[in-house]
This record gives sequence, C-alpha cells and structure tokens, in this order.
Amino acid sequence: MPASQPMIEARGVEKWYPNGFHALRGVDLSVSKGEVVVIMGPSGSGKSTFIRTFNALEEFQAGSISVDGIALSNDLRNIDAIRCETGMVFQQFNLFPHLTVLQNLCLAPVLVRKRRRAEVEGQAMGLLERVGIAEQAGKYPGQLSGGQQQRVAIARSLCMEPRILLFDEPTSALDPEMVGEVLEVMKALAADGMTMVVVTHEMGFAREVAHRVVLMSEGRIVEEAPPEIFFTNPQHERSRQFLAQIL
Amino acid sequence: MAANSLLASLRRELFASRGDALLSAGLLALIAAAAIGLLRWAFGQAQWVVIQANTTLFAVGRYPLDQQWRLWLLVALLALATGLSWGLLRANPRGDRSGVLWPANDRIAVAVLAFLTAWAPAALRLALPLQLRWWGITALLLALRWAAGRWGRRLPPQLLRWVPLIWPLLYLLGMVLISGGLGLIRVPPSEWGGLLLTVLMASFAILASFPLGVLMALGRRSELPLLRWGSVLYIEFIRGAPLITLLFLGQNILGFLLPGGLAPDRVWRAAWVLTFFCGAYVAEAVRAGLASVPGGQQEAARSLGLSVPQSLQHVVLPQALRIALPATVGQFISLLQDTTLLSLIGLLELLGTARTVMANPDFLGKNAEVYLTLAVLFWCCCAALGLGSRALERRLDPSHFPA
Repeated sequence: MPASQPMIEARGVEKWYPNGFHALRGVDLSVSKGEVVVIMGPSGSGKSTFIRTFNALEEFQAGSISVDGIALSNDLRNIDAIRCETGMVFQQFNLFPHLTVLQNLCLAPVLVRKRRRAEVEGQAMGLLERVGIAEQAGKYPGQLSGGQQQRVAIARSLCMEPRILLFDEPTSALDPEMVGEVLEVMKALAADGMTMVVVTHEMGFAREVAHRVVLMSEGRIVEEAPPEIFFTNPQHERSRQFLAQIL
Repeated sequence: MAANSLLASLRRELFASRGDALLSAGLLALIAAAAIGLLRWAFGQAQWVVIQANTTLFAVGRYPLDQQWRLWLLVALLALATGLSWGLLRANPRGDRSGVLWPANDRIAVAVLAFLTAWAPAALRLALPLQLRWWGITALLLALRWAAGRWGRRLPPQLLRWVPLIWPLLYLLGMVLISGGLGLIRVPPSEWGGLLLTVLMASFAILASFPLGVLMALGRRSELPLLRWGSVLYIEFIRGAPLITLLFLGQNILGFLLPGGLAPDRVWRAAWVLTFFCGAYVAEAVRAGLASVPGGQQEAARSLGLSVPQSLQHVVLPQALRIALPATVGQFISLLQDTTLLSLIGLLELLGTARTVMANPDFLGKNAEVYLTLAVLFWCCCAALGLGSRALERRLDPSHFPA
C-alpha cells in the first residue's frame, strides 16, 4: 500500500464557468504518493474540469488545492512550479504536429528545465524505448497511429520527470484495437510507483490498477472506494445507476 | 507513349461529347485569334524603341549615372546570395515529397534564367558592355548554385544555420549602397525611381509589415484591454480606408504631426503608410492562422511548464504562421501591385516613370508598348513571390515530410 504522504490535497473546490454553470460544488480529494486514483462519472459531471484544476488549466473560485506541498494560488511562479511537477496526458494527445517525436519530448526539458539538448535526447530515447516506439523518434506525429501518438504524449510528459501524472480520458479518442497498448504503458507506470489521477471509463484498468475509484456526478464526489468494493458493492444509488449503464 | 497519352487525355478533357467539342473548338479559335493578333502587333506594328531608349529610366529612374556602379555591385551580391541559398536548398532537400517535380522545376528555372539573360539585354538593345555585365552576373549566380549544390552537404551544420542571416545583412548593405553614407556619396530618395523604387518600397513594406501584423494579431487576442482595443482600432481603421486616401493623408498630415526635422521625406512617408496598410491585412491573416491552431496545443505547452511567450514562440506561432502563409503572401502580392498608387502622389516608381515617358513628345501614343511592358514586369515579380510562397509552404507542411 502506498505511503500516506499527500501529493494532491483538494479542499472544498468550487468552480463556476463564465456562463454561470456551477461545475464543481465543493469537491474534496486527497491523493497519496504512489497512489493511483481513477475518477469516473457521466459526461458533464465535472471530472475533467476537476483534474484540470490541479495544474491550473482551469481556475477555481473557492476552496484550496495544493500539489506536492505547493499551494495553487494566483502566483504565477507557483503555477509554473506545479506544472513542472505534474504531467498531463490529454484525450486528443495534443502532440506538436510541426515537431518530430524526439523534438516533442525534448522541447520542455530544454526550454523550461534549461538542460543540455544532447543529455535530454538520450533520456528521451530511453523513454521512447520504454513506451515501445523508439524507432519512430524521427517521424512527425501525423505519421503515427492514435495509440502510438498517445504513447508519445505519455513519454513527453515523463521527459519532464514529473512527480504526478494526470490523465484526461487518455483512451477515449482511440480506436478499440489501440486502447490496450496505451493501457499497458499506464499499468507499467503505476507498477513503478508513479502517482496517477486518471479520468477514464476503462473498467478493466480501474479494477486492476486503481487503489481507489472516485465517482463524480453533477460536480460532487458521490462515492469513493477501493475498486473491489466500488464495482461489487457500491453504497450509493447514483453509483449503482452509473455502473448499470456502463456495464 | 507520353505523346499518345497526352493526346488521349486532351480528347477526353476537351472533346468528350459533341457539345464539348463545339465549345472547345470555339474557345480555342477565340484564343488563337487573340494570340495571333497580339503577336502580330508585338512584332509588326509595335515600336519598342520607347522601351529600348528608356531602359535606364525604367530600371532606376534618375539615379546619378556615375553612382550606378553601386547598383551593379548590389545586383552582383544579390546574385551571389541567391546562388548560394538556391544551391544549399538543393543540397539539403527537406520535406518535399514531390521529388519528381522539384529537380525538373529547378532545371526549368535555370533554363529560363539563362534564356532571359541571353535574350533580354540584346532585345532591349543594351550596349555590349552592359550585356556582358548581365551575362557575368548570371554566370556568377549559376556557378555558385552549382558549387553550393555540390559541396553544400559537407558544410558543418552550425555554419548552415547562419546562412539565412545573409539576407537581412544584405538588405542593410543594399540600403547603404543605394542611399549612400559610410563614405559613399548620398543619393537622396527623390532620385530613386523606376523598378528600383518599386522593389524598394514593396520589399521594405513587406519586411516591416510582417512583424507588425504578427504583433497586432497577437494584440487582438490579448487579455489586456488596452492592447486588445488598440489593435482592433488600428486594424479596423486601416481596413476601413482606401490606400490612396491613407497615402494622401500620410503626405499631408505627417508633416504637421511631427516636428520639423523628424518627418521623413516623401518617399519614406509613403513607405511607412504602405507598411501600416499592409500590416493591418497581415494581422487579419495571422489572426485566422492563430484561430485555426487547436486550443489543446496551448494547453499541452502550458501543462509542460512552458511560459506564455515560450508556448507562442515554439508551439503556436510556427503552426499559425504556416497556415497564414498563403493569405499573407497574397497580401504581399497585392501590396506590390498597390505600389503603383505611389505615382498618384508624385513618386516616380514604375508607373510614374511610365507616365513621364509617355508624356515625352518623342514617344507620344506609345501607351500600349509601355503598359504591356509594365504588365509583364509586374507579372514576373508577382509570379516569383507566388512560386516562392508555394515552395516554402511545401517545405513547411508536416504532411509532406518524408516518411
């Protein structure tokens, strides 16, 4: 079981969109070092919005969030520090199409961490090896399949040596036959002890890898339980409805 | 074989049905009649002496004769830089998958260039020493292209990265050569004319309006209200006024607005008006480019820890500018054509020179010859811009990158 030192601490997070929509209604979540938390929930439940507040891609209006001991405030230096410590993998990959795979990986370490390019390239090749696409290093993202692109995106996040990885529906835009290769990479990361918060509908992944499953609905956390309890004996009516729909 | 398939495809394209055939034949006849008429006129009736007698005037206006060696030197330097860049581009092909097209284009370009240097100076009845100079300059260009294409690969990559810098340096050097200073006799802008003035005005406005347009496009998307509204005001004001009004405004108002010595002279006033005019349109093209880069790109860059300027410079702008390239070059092409409006405020660029020539009693009634020459000159310049832009587009397009 992972150590109980909190990597992410969210307390009473409230978010309104500019159009008045109340997306997050007092959400609390604590993630320990080395823990894998899977967030599930129907679309519009605020799960993506919630994990995007962790690296300040979304602002929130009330409550507090601290990541790796750094409080998220309007201080830009704090935001930059947190973004260096948290990697994010997006549904649409968001690789930089004008750069090669290797350049995609090296861009941020060279620009942000001011490391030497040659050294970063060595590390990047190692990471590409690890996600199984070292032979594609010189290609452009548009020449890769969706599954390969998402593995490059994971490697790109890892190249910044983050302490936390956030996954925002990483397999939702993939063809079914490519989902497996991406989940394999994520499982390997979890096994290495990476702290991960994953928004996904992949039941198999949640069952096998997650330490905790969180169900969100209408901007609130409805249920929070280890997967073996969540999937077999959910406590709340809303969870039962949700599971009935996706099973 | 090739001729056969060409014939077959012609038959398919033009003479598929009776109606098609009739239409095609009619149109072909019309085109042929027009072409024959034009050729008859050009080689029979037209009196090209009006062009031949005024080549210098059309080329450089009233630029002092004893200082024209500076322009020749500049042309020679330009030929050197062109040959070097051309050869290096050939030596380091990138991206372009249409590998069949590129070398063929290349050879055609060389052939056209060689033909033009051999034929044009003779057709213009330039003196033999001048003809020899053109041959020499062209030979220089082609020799350097050949040498750079042959040995360019062996240059160390660090050196190659500095090669594009030749061009801005050459531009500054060219400005000095043309206008004087640094020990050279000053030639004031009022003595520049013809093609020289047209190219100078257009190139200055193109080079200066591009960064201006990018800044204004970014300003228009800025979250700072002052910057945003300033950019919107500027862009909409310029786009709402015809260029000729702005040119007159520039000539008259800048003199009042700026204290005595600070107001630039007439030529530079016009150059700045052209720059501001073109900048507003470039800004709109770049804005469209920025809008077409998905928001996820910026998010991904920011989530990796890049600052806003870094993500603009390394992620958003390279993509946005590539998308905006065709529209921007379109703006540059119309800017080049718009320089003819400068003749209305009394500058002797190509059209202004043409009007003085046509007003000369010796050449009365030779309008057709002069205007046709002008049209061909402008067409060549615009075609060159368009070709360059398409080559650049191909080179930057990620979907054309080699697998």
